[in-house]
Amino acid sequence: MNVLTLLILTPVLFGFIVALLPSEWRSSFKFITLLATLVQLGLSIWIYCDFKTGASFAGVNHEDQFQFMQKLPWINLDLGSLGKMQIDYFVGIDGLSIALLVMTSFVLVVAALASWEIKSNLKGFFVLFLILDMAVMGVFCSLDFFLFYIFYELMLLPLYFLIGMWGGARREYAAIKFFLYTLFGSVFMLLIMIGLYLSVKDPATGNHTFNIIQMMNPANYDAGSVFSVLSHQTILGLPARAVGFVILFIAFAIKVPVVPLHTWLPDAHVEAPTPVSIILAGILLKVGGYGIIRICVGIFPEIAHADAYWLGLLGVISIIYGALNALAQQDLKRMIAYSSVSHMGFVLLGIASLTTEGLSGAVMQMVSHGFLSTMLFFLAGVVYNRVHDRGINHFRGLASIMPKYTAFVVVAFFASLGLPGFSAFIGEAFSLTGAFKSHSTNGLLPYWMAACASLGILLGAAYFLWTLQRMFFGTVNLKGGSVWKTALVDLNLREKLTLLPLALIVLILGVMPSLVFDKINESVVTFIQFLGFK
Amino acid sequence: MDNFLQAIDTLTIKFALAAVLLPLLAFIINLALPGKNNKVAGWISTGAILISCVLSVSVFSKVWNTDHLVHQQVLWFTIGDTKVYAGVLLNNLSVLMLVLVNVIALPVHIYSTAYMKNDDGYNRYFAFLSLFCFSMLALVVVDNLVLFYIFWELVGFSSYLLIGFWFTRHKAVQANKKAFIMNRIGDIGLLTAIIILFTQYHTFDIDFLFGSIDIAKFASVHDFWVFNTDLPSQVGSIWVKGGAVPLPIIWQYVAFAGIFLAVAAKSAQFPLHTWLPDAMEGPTSVSALIHAATMVAAGVFLLGRVYPVFNETELTILAIIGCFTAFMAATIALTQNDFKRILAYSTISQLGYMIMAMGIGAYSSSLFHLVTHAFFKCLLFLVAGIVIHQMSHIRDDNKLEIDPQNILNMGGLRKKMPLTFIAALIGALALIGLPFTSGYLSKDGILIQAFQWSEGKSFIYILIPVFAVLTTWLTAFYVIRLIVKVFFGDLRLLEKYPSIKLHIADGGWRYVLPLFILAIGSLFPLFSINPFSYEQSWLFKGVTIGHNVAGEGVYHILVPVAVNIFSLLVVYGAYVIYAKRKISPFSQTNALWRLSFNEWYFDHFYKKYIVKPVMVLSRSVFWWDRRVIDGFIHTLAKTAMALSKLTAWADQHIIDGFLHLVVNVVQSVGNFARRFQGGKVQYYLYSMLVIILALFILKTLI
Repeated sequence: MNVLTLLILTPVLFGFIVALLPSEWRSSFKFITLLATLVQLGLSIWIYCDFKTGASFAGVNHEDQFQFMQKLPWINLDLGSLGKMQIDYFVGIDGLSIALLVMTSFVLVVAALASWEIKSNLKGFFVLFLILDMAVMGVFCSLDFFLFYIFYELMLLPLYFLIGMWGGARREYAAIKFFLYTLFGSVFMLLIMIGLYLSVKDPATGNHTFNIIQMMNPANYDAGSVFSVLSHQTILGLPARAVGFVILFIAFAIKVPVVPLHTWLPDAHVEAPTPVSIILAGILLKVGGYGIIRICVGIFPEIAHADAYWLGLLGVISIIYGALNALAQQDLKRMIAYSSVSHMGFVLLGIASLTTEGLSGAVMQMVSHGFLSTMLFFLAGVVYNRVHDRGINHFRGLASIMPKYTAFVVVAFFASLGLPGFSAFIGEAFSLTGAFKSHSTNGLLPYWMAACASLGILLGAAYFLWTLQRMFFGTVNLKGGSVWKTALVDLNLREKLTLLPLALIVLILGVMPSLVFDKINESVVTFIQFLGFK
Repeated sequence: MDNFLQAIDTLTIKFALAAVLLPLLAFIINLALPGKNNKVAGWISTGAILISCVLSVSVFSKVWNTDHLVHQQVLWFTIGDTKVYAGVLLNNLSVLMLVLVNVIALPVHIYSTAYMKNDDGYNRYFAFLSLFCFSMLALVVVDNLVLFYIFWELVGFSSYLLIGFWFTRHKAVQANKKAFIMNRIGDIGLLTAIIILFTQYHTFDIDFLFGSIDIAKFASVHDFWVFNTDLPSQVGSIWVKGGAVPLPIIWQYVAFAGIFLAVAAKSAQFPLHTWLPDAMEGPTSVSALIHAATMVAAGVFLLGRVYPVFNETELTILAIIGCFTAFMAATIALTQNDFKRILAYSTISQLGYMIMAMGIGAYSSSLFHLVTHAFFKCLLFLVAGIVIHQMSHIRDDNKLEIDPQNILNMGGLRKKMPLTFIAALIGALALIGLPFTSGYLSKDGILIQAFQWSEGKSFIYILIPVFAVLTTWLTAFYVIRLIVKVFFGDLRLLEKYPSIKLHIADGGWRYVLPLFILAIGSLFPLFSINPFSYEQSWLFKGVTIGHNVAGEGVYHILVPVAVNIFSLLVVYGAYVIYAKRKISPFSQTNALWRLSFNEWYFDHFYKKYIVKPVMVLSRSVFWWDRRVIDGFIHTLAKTAMALSKLTAWADQHIIDGFLHLVVNVVQSVGNFARRFQGGKVQYYLYSMLVIILALFILKTLI
């Protein structure tokens, strides 16, 4: 059986087990879920080790160069004179997805470990968790737009319930805000997808197809079709391909999130339980970034080229705006949420530069942010679970009563603010390098963008250090007094076992970025060449 | 032969690597050590630095003045077509720094084992100290700018950890945050400069970018920015070979500005100097090593590394800033009362000299001063540590409410602590730069060359050497003020609290030995046989960049003689003012005094015009997020709700209303029609009559 299919189906299988077991066994559900994620982690590590690099395995727009591929005809309707409807179950990975796939499996293990805090309605929680697990895996593996879309939409449903049922005080508000925001994007994405389907024909069979890789080849577009590169069709008086790009971009930009489409994120994070925050920040945001690379830029490269300036500008705005917002927060989780906005801005900036450095930096930043935001939200959950409060000003001097916890917080904060030696530095530095270099190599982004974006690094230091100073240092002074003091015990074994690998991974990736770059480099180079920059 | 050389190089590199990595090992071991105050931690770190020291001396002996660049690298990672290497680059400059850092760190480690022995965070202290040593040693030997940046920030990070070592103290935590954020400004500058250089030259390799500094390269400063088309095949990317656009010349200035910011932040130069005095909240041994001798000198080291990229204008800017900083910091030091703060400002002032020296082309004097300053300033800080330690003893024994660092409480300590006093005196004389000290050799070199530099330029340039000399005299004044207030006269505490008991002394060998080592380094014989000629110093010759003027000319006699005679007068004057107390101290109300005492109001200014506006901005951005963006979303939601309510109403009242109407109509019609077939014959006849009548009427009418 194909290993990617196995990866996607594992959570479904375990989800069935959880669903079928009687509720009396509810204490075992978390272990079953953990086992599922560990199996996935094992599989993805195997995939990582077996992943071949080299020019003949670059993937991107060469279907035969993808690895671990499986292509099964799925929906084949004979529509008579309209031809055949061709929807495939088509999965496969290349350098653009491998790093995110491995990161995702790892983050899911941590999310499963964080689910220990869930106390109510366990069966529902873990079944939804595993469905979500399947969906995110599917998104990163799909090479058929239809399949991609199904997985993409499938993520929403469990998340809506996970936030809305297990969340904090304003959970319903947050859940519906999240749901509507994302749905707003993806509904229009559906239209573009159908438009693309009607424009593209598989040269082998002559049928219309949802194959993403076929969509990357201008020769496959029907002459005169709506998204044809040559025929310059219009939609409502606007160039059709530009409309397609913008709508897809908005859909993914909501996920990333890009300012001003980001306000679902702080609310969703603050209200969501820790494991859901982890999946949201660690994985879901990356789906946005991945979608922009593979689908927006991949299918509409000439529009990406023309609009790179605006993408870069949005990236810079996100970086600065998110950082300034983070500086103003009084709630730990909200602060971390806004820092995510800022950090994901680097991803957009790196992509917009359309240089190898920028794109590699963006992928690295996504991987790094996946681990780091996981760690940050897990850490925020630690203190919240103990005293059910997250107000930054409600704590002081935590370092004296929770030294181990503080040590991990210091590592996570410094790694997030881009201290060299940790992965985020590599991601940010090369996103900036790409952005700066862009002007002299392809003339897309002006020099000042990189300079402005680097201000985000400065502000990053400000909000993280200020939080450290306010919450962790100084003499002990807690809002809840002695009750809190007894409740705030230092990390237990499970928490240490969760945090230690995360800390080690961000450190290892910072010291040996080649672990990521070696796997993605060929694909990135091919991608940039595909975009027309030699 | 080549193979043989290669093998020797490899061995040298291995030694250098071991010297760098041993402290890292100590850091890891110390983190894992059980307990909080485990005396083993101190010995592990000290042992590591001792071995590093030996190794670095051996590396030094192999590389120094051999005219042979030891440079080896391995592929670190590939990004796109850019290969980034990691490697070790050993030339005179790097091995000099390697030895210096180790030689200063060793006494500080020994001293710390005693100084921190009762602290709860003993393990943590030594772990952090080793982390710092590792980062600093790595910084001086790495061969590419990415690695340089990494260790540049790591020294800042370990400095952050050590400034805030006593993390329960509010001021310490404020100080380390300030230090890190101000250093971050410099880091961004450095990163920008690195990115610009990379964009221009497509490599991060220091040796390739700046070369081993020689005359040819130095002379071609102006041509350096011309795009080099003959890139070696291993550097560059596919775009370069296609012929990329070189950056406009303005970016060379931006790169300079970035490097300048980095230097100003790390070496505490105007306008980013304000973190250093606050950083004195850390343990004094840390201040001695990091904030006086090594890390703060990293900025000067950076200038030394990237020197060839600067052009004449930029160097002049460096000279002006350095000179201004030196002068400003010296004026502030005149009125401070905190022992460590005075030393901190004097550090800023001396660093200003080094930057100025770089700016006027006195490259080797700048580095020379870096080395000598490391010794005597570290010595003074260790003295300060001992004094403060003893003062806190007095405070704790007698349960007083005093600040142990305030020099106004001290006095007469020379009788109680003679060895410390001698060490302090040596350090002080070296800091003033009087003959027979190492400070004389390095500082007079700078002054002489400053005069030579200003010669033949517009008369305004003479201000630089003039202010430099003025600063020397100010230095003499505040140093003597400090020494006299601390060591001469009688203990001022006794005036306030006549009954207190004093148990103070020099301390054990772990205090005295470091002082001894550093005091040796503060005297002339280590550097030059001739105590009056800096040109004859081995160190000066070793790092020279080849354009030095021979030791002749009128300035070589005039400057040292004039400066030192007047310095002696100042020393005597200060002694008279403070020791004999014959002359009343200066007015403490005038504007100049206030300017100096309030440290030129920099902190007030930054707080009011930078920190506060940023906070206001961040709050208003959050307001925008909540009110405007979310407000828009909520309006959308409300509109949708209103629309849906409207449609619901329409559904109920219009669409359903229509349906109900139809139903009602049908129903009433049915009801009406039903009556026609009720089975009553007279009703049928009656209706027939009505219809016939109606038809008849219609027919007749139409």
